[in-house]
Amino acid sequence: MTNELIDGMIEAFILIFTFDQEMWDIIFVSIRVSGMATFLAALISLPLGSYLGLHEFRGKKTVSNLLNTFMGFPPVVMGLIIFLLLSRSGPLGGLTLLYTTTAMIIAQLFLAIPIITGTTKAAIESVDPALRETVQSLGSNNRQLWWELIKESKKSTIAGILVAFGQAISEVGAVIIVGGNIRWHTRTFTTAIVVHTRMGEFGMAIALGIILIVIAFILNYTFTHLQSGKD
Amino acid sequence: MNLVELQNISKTFYKKDDLEHTVLSDISFSVKRGECFTIIGPNGCGKTTLLRIIALLEKPTRGKMFYDGKDIINLSNKEIVMYRRKFSFVRQKPVVLNTSVVNNIAYGLKLRNVEKEEIISKVKEILDLVGLRGLANKNARSLSGGEMQRVAIAMNFILSPEIYLLDEVSANLDPKNAALLDELITKIKQNKEKTIILSTHDPLEAIKYADHIGVLINGKLTQVDTPDNIFTSPKDDFTAHFVGYENIFEGIAHIDQKSGLNRIKIKDLNITASVQKEGNVKVCIRPESIVIAKTPPAKTSFRNSFKGKIDKIRDLGNICHVFVICDSQKFLITVTKQSRINLDLKPESDVYISFKATDIKCL
Repeated sequence: MTNELIDGMIEAFILIFTFDQEMWDIIFVSIRVSGMATFLAALISLPLGSYLGLHEFRGKKTVSNLLNTFMGFPPVVMGLIIFLLLSRSGPLGGLTLLYTTTAMIIAQLFLAIPIITGTTKAAIESVDPALRETVQSLGSNNRQLWWELIKESKKSTIAGILVAFGQAISEVGAVIIVGGNIRWHTRTFTTAIVVHTRMGEFGMAIALGIILIVIAFILNYTFTHLQSGKD
Repeated sequence: MNLVELQNISKTFYKKDDLEHTVLSDISFSVKRGECFTIIGPNGCGKTTLLRIIALLEKPTRGKMFYDGKDIINLSNKEIVMYRRKFSFVRQKPVVLNTSVVNNIAYGLKLRNVEKEEIISKVKEILDLVGLRGLANKNARSLSGGEMQRVAIAMNFILSPEIYLLDEVSANLDPKNAALLDELITKIKQNKEKTIILSTHDPLEAIKYADHIGVLINGKLTQVDTPDNIFTSPKDDFTAHFVGYENIFEGIAHIDQKSGLNRIKIKDLNITASVQKEGNVKVCIRPESIVIAKTPPAKTSFRNSFKGKIDKIRDLGNICHVFVICDSQKFLITVTKQSRINLDLKPESDVYISFKATDIKCL
């Protein structure tokens, strides 16, 4: 076991520093899938979250509760749902998207939407009501008010987007179900680590693990910096 | 024609557990163009809520409100923005945007898509007016409270609104900033096209600017009148207290037919007043109308003179509040610090208090 660990570590560093082709392919797929999913989720969730944060309406409480529940939605279940929708006999089977990166983006998109929506809503709600009224009384229309509030809460909003990306890139359940973990195609950090560990190829697994942790560290560092730092 | 008119405006907040909290009830008044209307009342009486309703930031629970004859309670989103732009609302606690002083001041004009050159020249002008040129590029949130209030004032005044809504703006200002604000308000008042609605808890500030005063107590407008009428004939004892009649006693008045003078009996104290009101009355005397002396007054221009004992003295810097008990009635008298020293006033010392028959108000 000790030998395996040491050998694995050595191999991992060789892979990292020789810029192994397969390793880079996996990193690229992971970042592309999670990045695209987070980007699309932000496009949908920023307006949605601010709407929820700005307006009072009947049933808002229910919507908020649902949102909170979906923020912790199990990725495996999301994978299952998207799988059933996209599988050949499913309602969207005709699109033949199963086992493509598009399917993975869709699954992660639905995991990220509640996270970004929820954090945006909370960020907008936490803006001092007096500031909101000041902006309104200075003569802003709804669009101008929205923009000012987004600017005011940009730290928490960006933090929410980072959290969503972090969750997406380290998530394994959904991508393995809808992506199928196909080598050179839909294999990501997490699914690669699973399969290489299974096969006893610890070098690649450790190398990917290290890079994933570095990414997580960078995200976390940016996140804390945003939370504490001034502009 | 009234520029702004409120009819039976009420506001009730509903909290959790269905608790009701009525902040304003049946507020009606009107303000003409070019007028300064002051809302005066103690803290927590609903002044801010009332101004927020006028600024179209809060919807009243009941009632009607008109701007230039047009109903402005039920408006579309677009119309709300249009009418909000006729008002400017300066709050007691200033709120500024997280950007430079210049950007803050220019913000309202940018919202109105004003030309860049025009914004630059207007901002320059107002920076000088409020004395913030030196701080122009600083972040407005890093300023002191007084400076921030000046930014907030500049943000609103640059828009040259039809109506200035000023919510206790001088409450947290140091003398220098207060003087500047005074200058600005006086300037607006000189422009007969501009209307001011100002709230304050300070009676002196109210008289300074107001053409009309509304007294707001516990969410009700108890009196709307000219400053003179409010200060000389307050409608009830709370208003009387609030506008400075500290000495209020209940008594029974009877007009003497021969002399035409009013004899009022306050328990064991018989006082003489010139007001013509009989029956159960509330007698009001301003603290500064009472003269205090160590010896009985020689001249008799004072119809009322009583011997009493000093109960306590409250030192307020330049002036002192002296509480004197005469026949179980407690009088508050204000004296300058100098006369307190000259007269050697101390608790427990015997004194004579005197006041004119004409200085007595009856409610």
